[in-house]
Amino acid sequence: MTTTTPPQHPSADDPRILLDDQIGAFEAVPPYPPRTEREAEFYSLGDGEMFLNMGPQHPSTHGVLRVVLKIDGERVVDLDPVLGYLHRGVEKLCETSDFHHIISQLDPLEYISSLFMEWAPVMAFEQLLDVQVPRRAEYIRVLTGELNRVASHALFQGWMALDLGGLTPILYSFIERDEIVEMLAAITGQRMLFNYFRIGGVNGDLNHEFMSRLGDWMSRASVQNQANTDLLNDNEIFVRRMRGIGRLDRETALRMGTTGPNIRAAGVPFDIRRAHPYSVYPELEFDIPTRGHDGGGDSLDRYLLRIDEVKQSLRIIDQCLHNMPDGPVMAGLPRLLRPRPGRAWAAVEAPRGLFGTYVISDGTDQPFRMKIHDPSFVNLQLVGLLMKGNLIADTMAVMASLDPVMGGIDK
Amino acid sequence: MTAIARAWDNLTVTGKILVPLLFLVLVVAPVATVLIALFVGPWVVDVLASNLGIVRFVVAITGVLVFTIPTAFVIIYMEMKVIARMNLRIGPDRVGPYGSLMSVVHGLKFLSKEDFTPTGADVPVFTLAPVVVFLATVMTFLVVPFGPGLVAQDLNIGLLYLFAIGGMNVVGLLMAGWASFNKYSLLGGLRAAAQAVSYEIPLTLSVVGLVLLAGTLSVYQIGAAQAGWFTDWFVFRQPLGALIFLIAGTAEANRSPLDMTEADQEIVAGFATEYSGMRFAFFFFAEYVNVFVMSALIVTLFFGAWNAPFPFPDVAPALDPGSLGIGLVLLLAAAPVALTLLFAAPFYLARSSTPAWQALLLGFITFSVVAVGGLLGAAYLGLDWFAGLAWFMVKTFVFVFVFVWMRGTFPRVRIDQLMGFAWKWLLPASLLNLFVTAAAILVVEALNKAG
Amino acid sequence: MSTIPGMGMVRGMGLTLRRFFAPKATIQWPEVHADVAPKFRGRLQLLYDEYGTLKCETCFQCAQACPIECIDMGGMDTKGRFHVHWGPPETYGERREESAVRRSGRPVADHAFTRFEAIDLAPLDAILEAHDYDPRDMLAILEETQAAYGHLPVAALRHISRVTGAWYAMIYGTATYYRHLRFEPPAVTDAPPAGAAQRELEDAYRSALDTALGLGGRPS
Repeated sequence: MTTTTPPQHPSADDPRILLDDQIGAFEAVPPYPPRTEREAEFYSLGDGEMFLNMGPQHPSTHGVLRVVLKIDGERVVDLDPVLGYLHRGVEKLCETSDFHHIISQLDPLEYISSLFMEWAPVMAFEQLLDVQVPRRAEYIRVLTGELNRVASHALFQGWMALDLGGLTPILYSFIERDEIVEMLAAITGQRMLFNYFRIGGVNGDLNHEFMSRLGDWMSRASVQNQANTDLLNDNEIFVRRMRGIGRLDRETALRMGTTGPNIRAAGVPFDIRRAHPYSVYPELEFDIPTRGHDGGGDSLDRYLLRIDEVKQSLRIIDQCLHNMPDGPVMAGLPRLLRPRPGRAWAAVEAPRGLFGTYVISDGTDQPFRMKIHDPSFVNLQLVGLLMKGNLIADTMAVMASLDPVMGGIDK
Repeated sequence: MTAIARAWDNLTVTGKILVPLLFLVLVVAPVATVLIALFVGPWVVDVLASNLGIVRFVVAITGVLVFTIPTAFVIIYMEMKVIARMNLRIGPDRVGPYGSLMSVVHGLKFLSKEDFTPTGADVPVFTLAPVVVFLATVMTFLVVPFGPGLVAQDLNIGLLYLFAIGGMNVVGLLMAGWASFNKYSLLGGLRAAAQAVSYEIPLTLSVVGLVLLAGTLSVYQIGAAQAGWFTDWFVFRQPLGALIFLIAGTAEANRSPLDMTEADQEIVAGFATEYSGMRFAFFFFAEYVNVFVMSALIVTLFFGAWNAPFPFPDVAPALDPGSLGIGLVLLLAAAPVALTLLFAAPFYLARSSTPAWQALLLGFITFSVVAVGGLLGAAYLGLDWFAGLAWFMVKTFVFVFVFVWMRGTFPRVRIDQLMGFAWKWLLPASLLNLFVTAAAILVVEALNKAG
Repeated sequence: MSTIPGMGMVRGMGLTLRRFFAPKATIQWPEVHADVAPKFRGRLQLLYDEYGTLKCETCFQCAQACPIECIDMGGMDTKGRFHVHWGPPETYGERREESAVRRSGRPVADHAFTRFEAIDLAPLDAILEAHDYDPRDMLAILEETQAAYGHLPVAALRHISRVTGAWYAMIYGTATYYRHLRFEPPAVTDAPPAGAAQRELEDAYRSALDTALGLGGRPS
């Protein structure tokens, strides 16, 4: 009997190409030898451990975050986040579009709180151009920005519950958010990617539609918010799942560059609105709520802190409506903007922390370089510290409480 | 003839197989039935009568299998609608009146989906797992008493049978989790096993006190023991047992907030991650039938089974319809026409603009409502089993609503808290319940003896 | 958490039960439409001025700027005939690019002249004649074309496509699939690679630096 060798695929000899007929093709281990010490450590499995690839198509990874978990039973031993599934190259896009255009490029970064993504670059451009923004425009910016913060935090509450398995709060949150978003659509013209702030002011004054919706909402906002939070805040299951999970202490938070509600929940009262005041925030009265105990904060603290912030935002909105000055909403500016060569940095307190832009201008109508500092990206570093040693179910609680938005992380 | 031939040519292969079958079913089967009844009828009746147990079993099994599908449909629709309303949504409202055919459409959707088997799966186990889960769930129906006399098999160890068969459920889940060749499925299957092992014990222990009180393991007898006023229901003598049974039953039926096995936010869909099409539908059905069984058990064991909350005054129908003779036939023929005309008259006379056909239609609808209501009322008064079934269904669906309500409200419990709760709280509590019940029985007996 | 264990859960269930009977937030689209603010930008519509005249001047700027080419132009001509669009849509992409380049302030290239240089088609016609204009011999045709011209000029590919009837995309795909086919003339390889002289200087500097620092020879 003659034996004929089956025709071999040309890539069968090539060790770099992994064939599907081997069961190893399903493993999360990369086919190349480890390139760094960290890789070697992560991809060596101990006794009883296995990899679990979570995402980018997982129900609760907030978009397209991918995390490779090394688990021992239900316990997470180690993890490796993989980013870049939503990368658009925004910084590069900004270098090839003019200053007006950049505002709309940045909108989809953190699509939950788009107004803040416009605010920081607009402030940086105004520094470059030496523009004085009219006071009414500044008040409108603060008013709409705080509305957007409430919408963002409202959605956070729903997500938090949804990631813990509660079906209902997300719908209540969306009702709340939808009211605000429709309100903002009345003044900005869009529901989600507002594209409202302009260099030297805002695009359009307050109008009747917006004011009537706002007044209607303000009359019941605090009651409605209280009712929605009652569903979870007293719930024993919810509290027991959040308390003590993902504990972030003061020193770690400061060392990792955490900003926003996450660091305030660890007991550090750091808020750009007070630390480096911008716009008309110095004229407004509001507190910087902090939470935390024993020099640190856990997931429940981060959740409750955002509810406190919503209350402060409502205070600010109220003051804005009372103090709103008359006047123009747009500074006189030429159509084509060519700022002097130079550099500018501007940061705002976005719902997730410090959102900043660093712009270098070379005298043309496009920036030479534009760096975007996104709070979600910095806060996401914490998952490596907070998730280790917890259960798989707790990864959701921790990740939801850090509240990352993948649009901003991958940029 | 050519028309038929053309129609035949236009049929697909499936149609060419199905149409003759349809013909067989519609024409040949009735004829054959009549012939059999005429010629071999007495012999068949003899055989059936001499094997009444087997006949009863086969009929019951068929009835149970047929009954599960609409039950699951109704519960799925109810869950969609109730959770939607709690979410301030409307829920399904496009298919059928108020969206009531939505679950039927779901079923059709599952039927038309690809039946997918992942690479690397253990194919026989993967295929068998949904069947095991579904069978384990459906078989528990066998001892559930729906009303006086309406029980498929009154086993004298019915309660034991229930827990034994209900425990088989987890075997199917474990099979599914293992055979899917997916780590999420594996985690889901193992969670199911751990959860079932932990919660079977308090579930079983919580009813032992009740068994001591009732003095029987037969589910039917336990139900019958709760006749009379609603204060005789076991929930008032075993409140702790009822609570433990409710919680452990939630875990046993894999319902939120204790649905560890298919926690979407954590392990995608648990054991069902890799399932699609009709196999997934089997899991789906099993879950909702399980909800029904758990509710039925709670009602049977603790909430008076089919008994009304108060003894209904015994109003036997004064008129025996059989005694009317030929008059009954005349009444049946004349009543619809006469009553329709009678009910149509006010509509026609009240407003002159109402056309006659509209008035007649309204009259007929009114007559139908009245007639159906009257029939149901008569059945409720005259037939014990009908009254029992009505009460049983009402109570059971109240508990189905509670299950859905809990799902709509609570976030999910974490797996270690779940296990800790079972071993640290539920198990001691159920043991305490058993101890107190036994002691109370002894004390009462001693007092009776002394007094 | 409340003092009585389980009270929080009971209150939550109470809330959901109240909401069960509360009015619903659903908008029954498409029967009911939500209110849209007058300023809402998400509506595409043509505006009329106060005399009822269409404000659109069909300047095509919107169609050119549309990133996904969803805007098209259409309307009645003077004889009442309907034309779907007043410009070939396949050129929208090019016009869009042009507009982008123009807006960036760079000189706009004229594609009609800079697309490809003209070539002498006589040798190509001979090759095609030899192959009987058969697209099934495409690889051989391409190889011989490359032998004749040194590389595959775009003009030659277009000519092949026009004469043989094969799609340009297919020819282009064939030509890009094989490594030995090229679109550019082969680079002259005799000259030393760019920056070689620079690298020598760098090495000399680095070794001098190492000697000065007392590091000895560096592994290269």
